[in-house]
Amino acid sequence: MNTTELGLIARVAHVSKRYGEGSGAVAALDDVSIGIRRGEFTAIMGPSGSGKSTLMHVMAGLDNATGGQVWLGDTEITELGDSALTVLRRRRVGFVFQSFNLVPTLDVRGNIMLPFELDGRRPSAKEQEWVDHLIASLGLLNRLTHRPHELSGGQQQRVAIARALGTRPDLVFADEPTGALDSRTGREVLALLATASREYAQSIAMVTHDPIAASHADRILFLADGRVVDDRPRSSAEEISRIMLSMESAL
Amino acid sequence: MAGPLSAHNFSAQARDHASTLTVAALSSAFGVVLLQATGIIATSVESDVVGESDSVRLALSIVTTVFTVIAFYVGAIVTANTFSTIIAGRVRQIALLRLIGAQARTVRRAVATEGLLVGALGAVLGLAVGMGITVATVALGIRSGWLPALEYTLLDPIVAVPVVVVALVTWAAAWVGSRRVVTVSPMEAVGAAAETRNVGGRRTARTVFSLLLVLGGLALLALGVIVGLSFVGGLLIAFCGGLASFTGIILGAHLVMPPVLRLVGRLFGSAPTARLAAENAVRFPERSSRATIGLVIGVTLVVMFAVTMESYRAMVLESFADRPELAAAIDQSVTLTTSIFLGLVGFSAVIAAVGMVNNLSLSVLQRTRELGLLRALGFTGRQVRGMILAESAQMSIAAVGLGLVLGVFYGWAGAQSLLGSINHELMAPALPWPLIAATLAGGAVLALVASIAPARRATTVSPVLALSVD
Ligand SMILES: Nc1ncnc2c1ncn2[C@@H]1O[C@H](COP(=O)(O)OP(=O)(O)O)[C@@H](O)[C@H]1O
Ligand SMILES: [Mg+2]
Repeated sequence: MNTTELGLIARVAHVSKRYGEGSGAVAALDDVSIGIRRGEFTAIMGPSGSGKSTLMHVMAGLDNATGGQVWLGDTEITELGDSALTVLRRRRVGFVFQSFNLVPTLDVRGNIMLPFELDGRRPSAKEQEWVDHLIASLGLLNRLTHRPHELSGGQQQRVAIARALGTRPDLVFADEPTGALDSRTGREVLALLATASREYAQSIAMVTHDPIAASHADRILFLADGRVVDDRPRSSAEEISRIMLSMESAL
Repeated sequence: MAGPLSAHNFSAQARDHASTLTVAALSSAFGVVLLQATGIIATSVESDVVGESDSVRLALSIVTTVFTVIAFYVGAIVTANTFSTIIAGRVRQIALLRLIGAQARTVRRAVATEGLLVGALGAVLGLAVGMGITVATVALGIRSGWLPALEYTLLDPIVAVPVVVVALVTWAAAWVGSRRVVTVSPMEAVGAAAETRNVGGRRTARTVFSLLLVLGGLALLALGVIVGLSFVGGLLIAFCGGLASFTGIILGAHLVMPPVLRLVGRLFGSAPTARLAAENAVRFPERSSRATIGLVIGVTLVVMFAVTMESYRAMVLESFADRPELAAAIDQSVTLTTSIFLGLVGFSAVIAAVGMVNNLSLSVLQRTRELGLLRALGFTGRQVRGMILAESAQMSIAAVGLGLVLGVFYGWAGAQSLLGSINHELMAPALPWPLIAATLAGGAVLALVASIAPARRATTVSPVLALSVD
């Protein structure tokens, strides 16, 4: 069965990632096999250093796994070369990082339209309508000509979300998207991601170590020491905290 | 400086200061060679024509001093700019030092001391190179017979002068270039603000002053040209006007260069690589102005000189059209003088080019994260390379283009005010096409060369870097 028939948008099988050689080697990922379900908001949780970011990099084609296979949709990306991966990221993946998401020399509109421009094309009328809708619903209408340094952290994340959703990618990856924000602004950004997933059936994989952030997700994967140790449906922040604490004490 | 104020590792330090070291070494070698050459030529003339040595020595000294000062000045601009680029890359580190209680002045002084040390090292290196060149040239000259076999004083203590001056100038330039240290807020160490912009205070006084210099200088230049139609003395007036207006342009580089860079940037079209490159080139207007103004100065001087000499040559050849042997002899000597002077002025352009190459390298190094972000978002390696080449080309074209225009203008004004009284009419500038072609080719080569190292580095940036938080 391929990824799509499984109802998945991305999948890794027996993926491992090792840094360094010999006795100093670190296994950031150790035989991980998971699937990200289409249209769902998935949180990837785990203590610091558990391999969350590494997993995301490997799934997004930003980094090569040491072993195992990776699919985005039905495309196996494990064997793709750099330029094929680049084009794949441009067209089928969206990113929201913790900070430094935006190109400082471009204004808000330029940043949002960048994925289209990189592709050397103008958005179709329908795509433009979608982008305009995103801009309006993310409250960026009167910020379009501002540069990133003129925006607050929360506004910068909104621009990053608009850019990530603009091309309607198969999957949006968010790595600690609220990590650099105060808690109120963080809540707002999480609500926006959850809404995007629910209303537009956008598949989102979000890396976080914040139980409250994870409680917005439809599903929560727990990582520890480079392995998947738990896989839960939507849970409350309290339950997630409890699981995290039990993981910490098990160490 | 291995103190806590430069918690930098050694290779980063070496990279930061490669440009300053090179510029100091080139400047000092140039000064040493010119001084030695003055002494050698004066000594050899002395043996030829007794009694004329002193005036030859004086004339030569004036000429070499002028060229040395120009080279040092361009070097100082380059170094000041290098230091402001270095500071931009150390903002977080400086902010951290400020946070834990370091005085801004202390930090700045430490940075300037780095400049002094690197400048001194470079100057001594330059002394060694300069001495090597003169000793080898004298030996070669005596052996092949074009230099009389005399005792030349090659160890004249006066060669210490350019060495000391270069070290001090580098120190001063490092101090000027590290102005930004004072404005670094300790908050920049804690804030998540990845990019803060240094807008800089308004330099109203400087702007007004440079504007006055340009306008006043142009008025004098026009007067010189008009007076020159009737009297030879017009050249003196025009010279003062040219000096004033050009100084005004250099002082007002922050007003002149950004629009020129923007204009050139527009030539590159609207593809995202070109647009980003265009924006990058004017991202820190102050920095890109200083990165390019050195080259503008060099190219202007070279072209101006060549245009004036070409006009002079054309006029002489015309006057002696009926005496071909005499015309040929004069032509030869004019061409020789022109080439020597062009070589001397051209050296400043070389120093400026070194500065531009290093500036681009450093600024690309400092953009590692941004380049990683672009790669993550789907910039291919080729697009990144294209962007950096476009940036480099934009700077070269802007500097060489403006230098050509200014050089032709000043060269024409010089020739007109010098020679206008002969025919009492305005003449078109005589254009030295081979030199113009060579300048353009040099600009193209510079654009390419400047982009090689940074482009290679930029394409090896892993997109993962953009995601990892320090
Ligand atoms: N470039 C790297 N070189 C060496 N080790 C790394 C590198 N990146 C990550 N690691 C190691 O891999 C492990 C997982 O890191 P990461 O995926 O960043 O964890 P998380 O995002 O969960 O905090 C950690 O032990 C980390 O030290
Ligand atoms: Mg992480």
